Amino acid sequence: MKLTSKILCVALGSTVLAGPAIAQEYPERPIDMIVAYSAGGGTDVAARTLVPYIEEHLPGDATINVINRPGAGGEIGFTALANADPDGYTIGFVNLPNLLSIAIQRETDYELSSFQPVADIVYDPGGFGASADAGFDDLEGLVEYAENKSGPVTYGTTGIGSDDHLAALTFARQAGIEMRHIPFSGAADVRAALLGGQIDLASTNVSELIDYADSGDVVILGQMGEERWSEASDIPTFQEQGFDVVMGSDRGLAAPAGFPEDALATLQTAVEAAVADPEFQERAQEQRLPLSFMDAEAFGAKLDRMNENLQGIWEEQPWVEQ
Amino acid sequence: MEIFSAIASAAPGVFTIPVIIAMFIGTVVGIGVGALPGLSATMGIAVLIPLTFSLEPLVALGMVAGIYNGAMYGGSIPAILLRIPGTPAGIATVFDGHEMAKKGNPKLALDISLVSSSLGSAVSAIALLLLAPPLAAIALKFGQADYFWLAVFGLTAISVLLAGNPVKGFLSACLGLFVGLIGIDALTGNQRFTFDTPDLLSGVNIIVILTGLYAIPPAIDLMTGKAGIAAGHIDVSGSRAKFPWHTLVPVWIRSSVIGLVIGLIPALGGNIAALLAWNEQRRWTKNPGAYGTGEPDGIAAPECANNADTGATLIPALTLGIPGNAVAAVVLGALLVHGLRPGPELFRANADVVYGFMLTMLVTAGFMWVIGKFGSRLYVNVLRMPGKLLGPFVLGLTIVGVYSIHNSMFEVWLMLGFGALGFLMERLAIPTAPAVLAVILGPIAEESLRRALLISGGDMSVLLAGPISWMLAALTIIAVLSPLWKAIQSRRAARTGAEAS
Repeated sequence: MKLTSKILCVALGSTVLAGPAIAQEYPERPIDMIVAYSAGGGTDVAARTLVPYIEEHLPGDATINVINRPGAGGEIGFTALANADPDGYTIGFVNLPNLLSIAIQRETDYELSSFQPVADIVYDPGGFGASADAGFDDLEGLVEYAENKSGPVTYGTTGIGSDDHLAALTFARQAGIEMRHIPFSGAADVRAALLGGQIDLASTNVSELIDYADSGDVVILGQMGEERWSEASDIPTFQEQGFDVVMGSDRGLAAPAGFPEDALATLQTAVEAAVADPEFQERAQEQRLPLSFMDAEAFGAKLDRMNENLQGIWEEQPWVEQ
Repeated sequence: MEIFSAIASAAPGVFTIPVIIAMFIGTVVGIGVGALPGLSATMGIAVLIPLTFSLEPLVALGMVAGIYNGAMYGGSIPAILLRIPGTPAGIATVFDGHEMAKKGNPKLALDISLVSSSLGSAVSAIALLLLAPPLAAIALKFGQADYFWLAVFGLTAISVLLAGNPVKGFLSACLGLFVGLIGIDALTGNQRFTFDTPDLLSGVNIIVILTGLYAIPPAIDLMTGKAGIAAGHIDVSGSRAKFPWHTLVPVWIRSSVIGLVIGLIPALGGNIAALLAWNEQRRWTKNPGAYGTGEPDGIAAPECANNADTGATLIPALTLGIPGNAVAAVVLGALLVHGLRPGPELFRANADVVYGFMLTMLVTAGFMWVIGKFGSRLYVNVLRMPGKLLGPFVLGLTIVGVYSIHNSMFEVWLMLGFGALGFLMERLAIPTAPAVLAVILGPIAEESLRRALLISGGDMSVLLAGPISWMLAALTIIAVLSPLWKAIQSRRAARTGAEAS
């Protein structure tokens, strides 16, 4: 009897002691970070810049391996992340709105509930750019131009279903003007077409236009953040100009659903500290990365909100022909 | 002058230890690959690109430059010593090179070939450095319709000119066009030929098809003992004949110009430049009868010309994204892997890398001379390498390399599938180059056509609205009609060939 209770005591005691010990030990082996885009691309560079600072702020000698799983606009990497074992050792970058818009426009092996949000890191607001000699420099001018033009206003974006495309769809509906979408394969091609006078408007991330606005080749008509981005503080937002368009691309961290809570807490703290690290902020500034940290809860709420918004756009105006 | 300051700022990046080592290795490998019959620069670079994927862009591109330049010279080694051109571009070198070697002067023949090759490469690299940046600015003048015609012209020229038989050329191009259709339609977002496989949604990666078509068939040939040569005793000592510097200078000037011009035209390139330079040289000279009997000028002309086209073929590739031949296509693939997109922005946003790459084309021309000078004896041993060992080695490298691009086994199987297809195509004498170029040019043609019509609201007249479009459309028609001209040419070449040998 005595012996049994002794054993029980020891056993119980050890589990009680072992609990926090395990939490402190996380991570006890390398963590894989899935990046759903090619090495050398914007998301990959951002991820590889951030990784050393997360490692530094994680307890112990943590290592994070970046694994590129590009393809299908991110779907391959997102699917791999959703289907990974939620043991605390696989996390990944998720890009918005791609993560959500892909799942709306086609059958996917993941849905929003397959993920546990960890943190939002970069928020790059969208914007409209026009050629410097276009004759208008704000959204009101654009609407006026569109009403007087015989054909529809042509706008270039980085592709079907991109945040740039969805933003322009929303704007055209609100402004009551006709706009024709010309998809290109990258922001550089959109800029070349705009500068070459082939299209009226470029709808891309503000960070893709800012250098050209500084050099005087392009005028940015407005930015689509809720607040002005610090690097482009002289450009009014769409909301300030009376159009309720809030759109942009986010790059955040997520994990497969069912991720252990203690690991999530440790990771979240480390990511927050990494993003706040002055050294990292300096490197982010060099790359013109608009940092915007959000913790798991706020990021999760943002994801839900955005998903609802996109569903609404899809029901009214599906951006892919069915 | 902007160019010179850009060159000056890129130079320190080139002269770093890793880049120098990469250029050295690239050149050594390139000469070896060129020297081995059956292996080509295209294949060497195709095997290498995926492996250099994790390196710094300039390290990888320096190696690519070395292989490209080195292989063009390497092809002359077996051409001179064994009467077997190592690459198609070495065919014209056989005429006089082997004759000179037979007369007991293989060393002099190799030296002439080496100096001519290095000079040709250097001239070409300088032309690339000076011409590409201003030409890239012209790319801004290219509208969607112009790009459409440019891609159509490239496709037509390649299918017609690269193949002995235009029908087979078009067949190969159609295969490439089909592969280019796979994936998400960029203009509507619909899926095409993806068979509900997410792996196919972003299309077939150009490196996958390049490696499959260019690296696997030669590897199979090596393993089955079809390629390779039984080299017995090869003598490279020879007498110390005087190097005919003064008579070769005009030859070099003429041949470099030929190489440069030919290199700029899609679908032509090294092989044709070399034959044309040899033929032109013979027409210019006072004693055409001496050609084909071991004339120094007859070695210098083709070797200088086939190296002078190396940089020139890269000009349309870097500025417009239109590769003129298969090697330019693989180099373009290498740039894309490192996130460098051709066009005017390449020279602005990635100036250090792109100028650095052009500089490595120049520096490796010098390396080639040094390596060739002291290593020609060693390269003779390359000719004795057993193919049964080399084949599996190449195969292993391609599998590791392709897997490492996207960590995808699917792509490895796809690459091996293309390899089997490429092997079959070679057996049926269907050229693989039009297929590879069509994978790149097809989507450019399709998307720019549809974009042009989208912008104009369906008005077809935009396709011939500008002078550039008119010019390119006219060139396309000329290319279609050119087999006729080619038939006359080849009859003439056959006559001269008969006289030469």
